Amino acid sequence: MTQATTPAKEPRVYFEIIFRPSVILTTVVRRFITDFYENVIDSEDSVSRLALATHELLENSVKYGMPDETTTLSVDLDQREGTVTIRTSNRSVSPHLEALQRRFAEMHAAPNAFRHYQQLLRETARETNVSGLGLARIRCEGEMEMDLKVEGDLVRISAVSRTGSEFAP
Amino acid sequence: MNDRAISSFSSRAARHGDTLELLLEGDANMNAVDEMGRILDEVHSSAIREPTALVVIDVRNLEFMNSSCFKKFVTWLGRVQELPAESQYKIRFLSDPKMHWQRRSLHVLQCFAAELVTIET
Repeated sequence: MTQATTPAKEPRVYFEIIFRPSVILTTVVRRFITDFYENVIDSEDSVSRLALATHELLENSVKYGMPDETTTLSVDLDQREGTVTIRTSNRSVSPHLEALQRRFAEMHAAPNAFRHYQQLLRETARETNVSGLGLARIRCEGEMEMDLKVEGDLVRISAVSRTGSEFAP
Repeated sequence: MNDRAISSFSSRAARHGDTLELLLEGDANMNAVDEMGRILDEVHSSAIREPTALVVIDVRNLEFMNSSCFKKFVTWLGRVQELPAESQYKIRFLSDPKMHWQRRSLHVLQCFAAELVTIET
């Protein structure tokens, strides 16, 4: 793990964590990040949304990332803009890259996050081996704007929350 | 590192007449997905094997549930919806309002199966 947090009153707080993805570390990092959010965001509901998004993005990198490759997680709180941006970047392989691009295309084609999520639930309810809900869950339950960039086998996903005036004083 | 100590998940089920109670505790992360599926399969099997009007799911001590475990609930609700109307049973979630993810996720489940799901806080 690298770099440290800065005090909550700074207009911008940024850190990165680089780790080799594992199920255990996903939970450890979610709890660590939750502690961090609790210190800089004055809304338990926002903290919960951000923790959920962080966990889902990390699990995504565990499930679909290349084995033995690292994942970078960054969190960027910008009080001037009133945003929290969570980013993950990791390397992945072709079938997963295409599935990711398809899911993002479906999300972007569906302006209503809640309706899209419910539609996805209905479509996937009978499928027992695949979840495929994580990204739509971040967008809907996390109320975040999602973006995907693929460069070769490098996947960068960002989730932006507009928290407004909820930063801790 | 001790996997269980960091992300333990546990469940306990009991029947009281025509009510099945399921207690879920801990962290429902990737390690819990198979177990969550198995538990809900068992609940469903028991509910259709013996007269069952209500299944109560207590998630008040469930710290977190990932999307793969959440999906197991979606699949289960879908199976209940496919039963003949006279065989369907109701599902009541007991939730903790301090755990904000529960309010959001359970609301999504309630909208998915409004005729089956109620939420108690």
